[in-house]
Amino acid sequence: MFTPGSKFFLGLSGLALISAVLYTIFINPSDIGAYALFGLLLSGALVSGFSFYTRDGDSTSEAEAVEASAYSPAPSFWPIVFALGIAIVLLGVATNQIVFVLGIAVLFGGGVEWTIQSWAERASGDAEFNSFVRHRAIGALDYPGLAAVALGVIAYLFSRIMLASSKNGATLILTIVSAVILAFGFYVAKQPVFRGKAVALIVSAASLLLVVAGVATAISGERSQLTKYAEEQHFIKEHRECGEEKSKYYDKKANNTVSLRSAVLATVFVENGKVRAQMIGLKKDVDTITVPRSNATNILFRNLDDKEHRLVVNLGTEVVAETGVKEKVGTCTQKTGKNQEQLLTLNIPKPSSAEQVYSFTVPGAEGEIKVVVP
Amino acid sequence: MSHTNPVLTKEKAVDTVTPVKSSRRRIITALAGLSSAAFLSGCATNASQDTFQPKGPNAQMIHDLNLIVFPIAGIVGVIVCVLAGYIFLKFRDRGQAIPAQSHGKPVIEITLTVVPALILTVVGVFTFRTIFDLAETQDTELIINVTGQQWWWEYDYPIQDGIDQPIITSGQLVIPVGTKVLLRETSRDVIHSYWIPALNGKKDAVPGRIHLLRLEADKPGIYAGQCTEFCGLSHANMRMEAVALSKEDFAKWVAGQQKPYTPPAANTLAAEGETTFINQCARCHQVNGIKDANGKPIISAPDENVYSGAAPNLSHLMTRNTFAGAMFDLVTEECRADVWEAKPEEFGAKYLNGVTKDCLNERDLRAWLRDPTAMKPMYADPTKLEKSNGKYRGMPNLGLTEDDIDKLVAYLMTLK
Repeated sequence: MFTPGSKFFLGLSGLALISAVLYTIFINPSDIGAYALFGLLLSGALVSGFSFYTRDGDSTSEAEAVEASAYSPAPSFWPIVFALGIAIVLLGVATNQIVFVLGIAVLFGGGVEWTIQSWAERASGDAEFNSFVRHRAIGALDYPGLAAVALGVIAYLFSRIMLASSKNGATLILTIVSAVILAFGFYVAKQPVFRGKAVALIVSAASLLLVVAGVATAISGERSQLTKYAEEQHFIKEHRECGEEKSKYYDKKANNTVSLRSAVLATVFVENGKVRAQMIGLKKDVDTITVPRSNATNILFRNLDDKEHRLVVNLGTEVVAETGVKEKVGTCTQKTGKNQEQLLTLNIPKPSSAEQVYSFTVPGAEGEIKVVVP
Repeated sequence: MSHTNPVLTKEKAVDTVTPVKSSRRRIITALAGLSSAAFLSGCATNASQDTFQPKGPNAQMIHDLNLIVFPIAGIVGVIVCVLAGYIFLKFRDRGQAIPAQSHGKPVIEITLTVVPALILTVVGVFTFRTIFDLAETQDTELIINVTGQQWWWEYDYPIQDGIDQPIITSGQLVIPVGTKVLLRETSRDVIHSYWIPALNGKKDAVPGRIHLLRLEADKPGIYAGQCTEFCGLSHANMRMEAVALSKEDFAKWVAGQQKPYTPPAANTLAAEGETTFINQCARCHQVNGIKDANGKPIISAPDENVYSGAAPNLSHLMTRNTFAGAMFDLVTEECRADVWEAKPEEFGAKYLNGVTKDCLNERDLRAWLRDPTAMKPMYADPTKLEKSNGKYRGMPNLGLTEDDIDKLVAYLMTLK
């Protein structure tokens, strides 16, 4: 009656049915998990029916069976990888997008390898030739794939080492490592005879060192400075501290985009503790900068003082819809040291008026530059 | 042996060859006619965007460079075409044997390298000199921000010597004669290009960037221009005019633009028009100084309604001669001709008169208010704004009644 294969898939379908019903009732009927479980139910039922119809592909069991093919598949672990991929995909659907993508990668890799192996084994009656065509076909995918994985592992481990080292230490390590790699490359290239074993030994030792150091630093964690940054949300794009500096670790990410620097409307300077400004086309300093309305406008801030400063733009006040409280609106550059620059890109949608007064200020320096938006 | 009937062959020849010859002759005649027309159109003396009639030192520099480069390029072009034609005809395939092939003629190769290099060097020297002269900005006397958006130009005059309050206008760029004006061009949406041929070459207006273009006019007058970078549906209708006034007249114009807003007298059609304007137009169009019934300033919000984030500021609208991206005149044809053709010494006074009741081009203004989308192609259909996040590119049809239009026209006439 039922074959072992059809029983297995029928059981899987039943399990999927129960899971799907429970998931739909208790979790979320419109969630992707419900769709996945119902999909599993249908596909399981389909395969079960197919398995039942073909008697699990066992042609010899049928009276009308034709002579069995000479082809017999070699043992392979790719079906296991493929199945593992399915499991990871399902896990990813229920848990995390990254797991899902990883599952897709495993599923795809396993599927391709399995397909090519299966195809190559039947390419001819000559096992040696079959092995040759298999390697020839899969080599085009294997080597770039493995190289990408290896590079990813190297980059990841190296990044762990960099993130765990101090800023200066990381610079030193990077300089030394890159110099050593370059020198080693030159040395190998200069050798009249390629000593493969010696090179392999050195590369293996370096890889081992990288793995050990990478794992050790990954366990020890990132340097405290970065941990502090993350806690204070410095990595969020909108993060600004336009008032007094709260953290001694505040990162000074210089915004020196060349294209923006060549398209500034005005430059604000702080010099000898005083703020002044210049506009393109005007020779004299100005105390008012006219900024076009609703238009991305770049303002360059140049600190000529010994002390670190930042440019703050005050854009009046605004009632916060949620709380009804009037709050100051504005933004600022990062802090910057002597003879350094920062860019501020503004887009002001409302004109200035007696009620909405806009200005540039530099905390810790005298004076302000009025901003007029017509 | 041929069995062809000679009479039949002759008839066939007459039937087939004559129409071919005839149609070829027609094509050649048509091409010659078109070429002649194109060539003769260059002789027009009243073409408002003629690049060969410079009206300022910057355009004159480009024109002077043209006088050097154009003949050189023309002579080279003619020589190349004649030689190529000669070679095509002389050595065309007539079944002859392929001549002996040889490789390398040092004398010819060196000559053909050195001569073009010398020509390019001569052209390059003059060209680079002109480019650097045109890029000079150190002696600027007036700066104006020019912002392009689909499909009109906005001009704002920052606070500087002679301008103590910023001025914002559109359609017509007003500059003083004999003054080195520096335009700081940018764009709010896509790339546009600013070109007043009589005053200087073209310069792209690129979002997020500021490009500098120097303008200077020798005499008072109006100089026409056109956006020269394809920028969407109404690119061809994105026009501009530079109005050059004497320095005294420019000072008067500045003073006029800085006059505070005067609301229309109560219980007039214009006062009703102000209410209509506040209800219908002030969402996007700003009139500086306009207030609501409670005395609160009305601030437009084009950033919430328009893709570019801006709509023309209509303060002192009737001091301009154009509207809708300079596509239409605010004045009638006769009044326009009166201003455009005025003598330089009379031009300023006529322009500063603005739009009088007699001169108002009411027909186009009313049609625009009735349905702007019928007047100028724009992406302003509320049902088709998915790509622009529900925001308009251009002015939509507001569904105004004729009564509303009467009131609005009366109100707009007060904006001087």
